[in-house]
Amino acid sequence: MKENEKNKREWVKTAAIIFLSVMLVLTFFSQSIMNYSLPEVATSYAQSGTITAKIRGTGVVESGDPYEVKVTETRKVSSVAVKVGQTVQKGDVLLYLEDAESDELKEARKTLEAAQDEYELMLLTAEITSSNIYSASEGVSVEVYRKQISNAQAAVKKAEEAKKAAEEAKKAADAAIPANPEGVSYEVLVGQIQQAIKDHETQIAYESSEAVKAQDEINVNNKQNALNNAEAALATAQDNYNAAVENGSDEETVNNAWAAVCNAQAIRDTAQNEYNQAAAVRDGRPVTVANLQANLETWKLRLYNLQKDQTAATTTTEAGKKTAEEALAAAQADLDAKQAELKSLVDNINNVIKLEQQLDKIDKAQTTVDELTAKSVNATVTADISGTVTQVNVTAGNNTSASSPVVVLQPEGAGYTLSFSVTNEQAKRLSVGDKADLVNAWRYDDVEVTLASIKPDKQDPSQKKQLTFNVTGNVTAGQSFSVSVGQKSANYDIIVPNSAIREDSNGKFILIVESKPSPLGNRYMATRVDVEVLASDDTQSAISGALNGYEYVITTANKPVEAGKLVRMPE
Amino acid sequence: MKKIVLGISGGVSFLIFLILLFVSRSLGEAQESQTMAERWSDKKDVAQVSCFFSVNAGITEDRIIDFEHSVDGALTEASVIQESENPSARLWADAYSADGQVTLSSDKSTLSADAIGIGGDFFLFHPLKLLSGSYFSGNDLMQDYCIIDQDAAWQLFGSNNVAGMTVKIGGIPHIIAGVVERPSGRLEESAGLEGTLVYVSYQTLDELGSCNGLNHYEIIMPNPVTGFAEKLVREKLGTSEKETEVLENTSRYSFASRLKKITEFGTRSMNGRAIIYPYWENIARGYEDILAVITLFELLFLLYVIVLALVSFGIWWKHKGWTLRSAWLFVKDKAERAVEKHRAKRLERKRRKADGSGEKPVKKEKPFRKEKRAKKPKQPEV
Repeated sequence: MKENEKNKREWVKTAAIIFLSVMLVLTFFSQSIMNYSLPEVATSYAQSGTITAKIRGTGVVESGDPYEVKVTETRKVSSVAVKVGQTVQKGDVLLYLEDAESDELKEARKTLEAAQDEYELMLLTAEITSSNIYSASEGVSVEVYRKQISNAQAAVKKAEEAKKAAEEAKKAADAAIPANPEGVSYEVLVGQIQQAIKDHETQIAYESSEAVKAQDEINVNNKQNALNNAEAALATAQDNYNAAVENGSDEETVNNAWAAVCNAQAIRDTAQNEYNQAAAVRDGRPVTVANLQANLETWKLRLYNLQKDQTAATTTTEAGKKTAEEALAAAQADLDAKQAELKSLVDNINNVIKLEQQLDKIDKAQTTVDELTAKSVNATVTADISGTVTQVNVTAGNNTSASSPVVVLQPEGAGYTLSFSVTNEQAKRLSVGDKADLVNAWRYDDVEVTLASIKPDKQDPSQKKQLTFNVTGNVTAGQSFSVSVGQKSANYDIIVPNSAIREDSNGKFILIVESKPSPLGNRYMATRVDVEVLASDDTQSAISGALNGYEYVITTANKPVEAGKLVRMPE
Repeated sequence: MKKIVLGISGGVSFLIFLILLFVSRSLGEAQESQTMAERWSDKKDVAQVSCFFSVNAGITEDRIIDFEHSVDGALTEASVIQESENPSARLWADAYSADGQVTLSSDKSTLSADAIGIGGDFFLFHPLKLLSGSYFSGNDLMQDYCIIDQDAAWQLFGSNNVAGMTVKIGGIPHIIAGVVERPSGRLEESAGLEGTLVYVSYQTLDELGSCNGLNHYEIIMPNPVTGFAEKLVREKLGTSEKETEVLENTSRYSFASRLKKITEFGTRSMNGRAIIYPYWENIARGYEDILAVITLFELLFLLYVIVLALVSFGIWWKHKGWTLRSAWLFVKDKAERAVEKHRAKRLERKRRKADGSGEKPVKKEKPFRKEKRAKKPKQPEV
């Protein structure tokens, strides 16, 4: 029983010791154990410095003003006399060509034959006269042709004018109206006379009509009656007066009776007059008619004479018209003849020119054939200017081609250029005149590269810009240069490595390490600081934010780091 | 004995369920290429959407720029506005990339490697582990940077610390912005990370390397309603169904998505599109499969626990020594007693009031104490 109790106590003791020692170990190593679970971070010191944003690019040095030597024939090269980089003088031999009839020579011969055939064919056509052939072969001067043509043209012009005059004359003749010497047209006169005759006839008919006669008779009778009445009234008045005088009536009555007598007298006189007139009208009618008849005869005579005159005048006018028409026809015929002359002259000249052209063609083809024939033996290609050979595009045994240069020369004293394209954003940071640095500058001495122009890139004008640099110094065309060009560097207060910049929906930020003392050494905590990136270059960024410039900034970590959590610094 | 064994097995099952739940959650969270949304915003109001194109889709940078403009328009329409005070804050960020090959040459040696040509903020979405240097962005002024992995660094220079050095790609010098560690592992190597991988700008890959065309696009953007971002990308950027695949990364490892993956068993491996997945998508799909299996086990273990609980509850119910009625009566009795007690107390209080006897000084202590406390904050002023 006691043994048992003792065993139990031993067991409790052992357990207590184990427990305490475990607690001790945990207490001492708790820091290390916890540290192990924390993300380990690498930090960098935020400091002031400079940022230089550089634009880099690579381009091939090209001759600013290359001189291309071309061989216009397809010829086989027997040997190349120069190498790239070699300096040549004007007249130096660049290539030797093998003796051969070039394709171009064969072609030239063919052209010549074709031209000759064509000339012969031309001679056979009907339009060509022997004088044409003679003129063509002799070569008539342009001056002579011009004189001939201008003469012919002048003749045509003259004929045209004559025709125009004839036309005018005809027009005038057409418009002419026969007129009597007084200047009034016959037609009007005839009309007037005819009207007068008509009037007279009407008048005569009226005057001699029975109705008029009867009317006259009635008028006379009426007037007669009136006269009778007036006389009766006068007689009565006379009687009254006499009676008054006899009766010894008073003066007034006598005076009144006298006045009445006077009045009746006047009325009777008037009636007498009217009666006389009416009688005169009635008696005058036959005389009037006789006069009218006489006048009518006169008018008729005049009409006859006038019509005779008119006929004569009309005949004269018609004759004038006919003459004018004939003159016009003649003028037209003359004009046609002159125009035909001019045309035939021009045709002739054309023929001569055509022949001359063909002869020229033959001459030229002959010259080409001669030249090429001369070249086909012992031919060389020589340098037209002094300079440096920058490209040799053929090798011995190969054929030259007429379109591509065989040798490119860099003329003495001409500069070099270098170009590459950049984005618009990059181009914005550059200005013409900026000096560019060569990458690996130690490889080249005294080479200077200066930005000469910024133009839209032809391949993508809206998005890209073509930078062209002037290159001076010890360079040759075809060298590839990588350059970097940029603004002057700017100073900033806080600069951190690019890897320190983080971003989330709240914007860009950095994580800085803040240390907190604890009984078991320092503890480090990652703290978030919102920043704004002011400028960046390849490795660093300038930032602004709530920083004093001496913080440790987390650049990288072995685990994701969260703001506000503890981190571990490398030992 | 049987009861104990069953009880222990139930407990263990529940424990395994919890462990599996934890494992699946942490596995999902460990996929950094899929968890951009958590890094981008603390609030759960953003979504990461990926878009994969076939070679024939004919996506160009111009097309993407057009889409980026339409995103701004769509967000304005949905009245999502920038709330951050930081002037550099963005509502959304995107990245695109293309597969291809490039040849890098340093002074020492030449290396042909698979390459990813990137545009936009690619490394925001894919935070690789930097050994030296920093990332670069498609929005940088210069696009002649590259990021290489440690194998490439070793082959080209014989060192890892080569950030800032120059390599030539297609004869044009490029600056090494950083050196990264290439993820390794069974899944990673099968996913396309078995060889050296170089990250260059899309422009470099297109002009100086051999490019298979722009084939991935990713965006992180506000997601005011579920599926908003995915729908926008599908409508505005997607070409035809055959040429494009759009998926929301943010919810791909959620429990609902994992359940869906289980139901897609068998059909999921079928593919009618000529889309080549980039390595990160291959890895993500690999984890989807793994998580689907884990989820299946989670469900099985949970089911076992639930069945066990239901059965034991049934047995206990059957053998309980009481009925519902007895329980009702018991509760009723208790309630009545409580009411009675309360009534007695009230009567007592009334009686004391009528007597006028003083138990009040005890109650007065409370206001006194309160005054003391109220004065305390005032002390610093003095």
